[in-house]
Amino acid sequence: MKKKSLSRTFLFLGLGVMVILLVSVFIGRYPEPYWLPPRLLYHDQLARQLVLNLRLPRLLTALLLGMTLSAAGSVLQMVFRNPLVEPGFLGVSQGAAFGAAVSILWLTSHPLVIELSATFFGLLALLISYLLSTRIRYGGWVLRLILSGVAVSALFSAGIGVLKYIADPLTELPELIFWLLGGLYSVTWRDFLFVLPFALAGITTAYVMRWRVNLLSLNDDTAFSLGASLTRERIILLVATISAAAALTAISGVIGWVGLIVPHISRRLFGASAEKSLPAAMLIGGGFTVIADDLARTLLPGEIPLGILTSAIGAGLFIYLMISIGVKVRRHE
Amino acid sequence: MNKILSLENIHFRYHPDAPDVLTGISLDIPAGKITAILGPNGTGKTTLLHILLGLLKPFQGIVKVSGKSHREYSRRDLSQMIGLVPQFESIPFNFSVFEYVLLGRSPYLKPFQLPGEGDVRITEDALEAAGIQHLAEKPVTEISGGERQLVHISRVLTQQTQILLLDEPTAHLDLENQNRILKLLKQMSSRGKTAVLTTHDPNAAIFAADYFVLMDRGNIAAQGNLSQVITAENLSTIYRTPIRVEQTNGYTMVVMDRI
Repeated sequence: MKKKSLSRTFLFLGLGVMVILLVSVFIGRYPEPYWLPPRLLYHDQLARQLVLNLRLPRLLTALLLGMTLSAAGSVLQMVFRNPLVEPGFLGVSQGAAFGAAVSILWLTSHPLVIELSATFFGLLALLISYLLSTRIRYGGWVLRLILSGVAVSALFSAGIGVLKYIADPLTELPELIFWLLGGLYSVTWRDFLFVLPFALAGITTAYVMRWRVNLLSLNDDTAFSLGASLTRERIILLVATISAAAALTAISGVIGWVGLIVPHISRRLFGASAEKSLPAAMLIGGGFTVIADDLARTLLPGEIPLGILTSAIGAGLFIYLMISIGVKVRRHE
Repeated sequence: MNKILSLENIHFRYHPDAPDVLTGISLDIPAGKITAILGPNGTGKTTLLHILLGLLKPFQGIVKVSGKSHREYSRRDLSQMIGLVPQFESIPFNFSVFEYVLLGRSPYLKPFQLPGEGDVRITEDALEAAGIQHLAEKPVTEISGGERQLVHISRVLTQQTQILLLDEPTAHLDLENQNRILKLLKQMSSRGKTAVLTTHDPNAAIFAADYFVLMDRGNIAAQGNLSQVITAENLSTIYRTPIRVEQTNGYTMVVMDRI
């Protein structure tokens, strides 16, 4: 009975995301604000092109972005046994942003080059964080990685600061700022296809290994006694989810809070076990990001950077979760 | 003695340039019995348990399970043979007791497999065996210390291993809960399981164990049955305080001498 009602909940959640996607196809500012009447697709060539070439890849990318950031957030919070970890914490977000800035300033503003540069620097930051953590001589592996992630993030954001300072305020700086604030306004089918393999690899790995994620959230000795190959399984999960997050950050810019807040909401609704909370987080995150992107392109005549919206909504939800009745804070021992 | 676990000349240190924590330990654990490893705090009991588990690799020496070296078993095989009740487990997420105990089935699941109905049934039985089926839906972070320990034991029961390693299973528990845990252990041992528990409390060891190992400063001071090991002289030496061993109504009791 319980299992039945649970699969029904997932069915509703899945259907909900599909409905959000479908409705979102018609949300925008053409031909007039907020709504594109579906029948216009038959008559209006421009409307058809807009939906097929711009809105569809944008929506699907938003879905992938939300799913990936939430899956990565869920996995990382559990594997690091720390509910405040988010996908960018090992320097990946700041590294990717630095890569994009380097490309805008010194290489070219061609989207593909920006994406490649951002992915490269995002993964480079991950690698530096990892190597640095192996040189720290104290603390457990969680503390070492978090410390080196903080340091590497700070280094790259200092780098971004320098690049902003020397950027041409009329041409390069606006582009750079808009990229840093995050958004999907320029996404095309090519971008979607660029991130698809990374995102699928990350999402699938997290999904199929979700029982192992549960196991890795226990103390090392318990997880080991239950058959976990600690190092190997952690590396597989971290590399798959963080590189997916890095690739998506490369086309969307820094999108904050989704990977932090969605796993919390999902655990509250579906319990701590990743068996349910991880797939639920992916669906919630996908739906949330698509809605946030709807708002980003519709609310104002100009585009609102998606990163600003996700941060504002995410922080609001976070505050609500923290102060609302019934939310229990973990008891520390 | 039918030995199921044995250590041969084990040396261990945490870093290559640190001093040895264990200095040449040789030990046989009898099958189907409860073995208590006794000793003062910081004498290497937990380290020894982690070596028996395979989590720590000895710097020198061999660990054998059923006559074969640890290294000849896969991770999966070993986790189907040896279970652990840790001394301390911080659980950062609100797993329900049921979800947490179900994790004990992991050694039997393939890499991408989820637990099935059979695993759920085994988990329900384990909760019942520990008498905590009423806690199934409660979050593990919201139960008492005694209940938490019973949850750990249920988890190790679902793991269905022949050997159980328990690190200070009665530490921080009140007398009723100590009694509950040790009785449960005896029940399991009467069904043929081998248990190895560490404790710094000799009376808890006397209550439950059949075989005793006294550890002192990374070495074994004595091993054998109750009368061979639990003597005033042995205990006073390793605990570095005057200790008396008394017989009351046929029970052996360890008391601190009045100073």
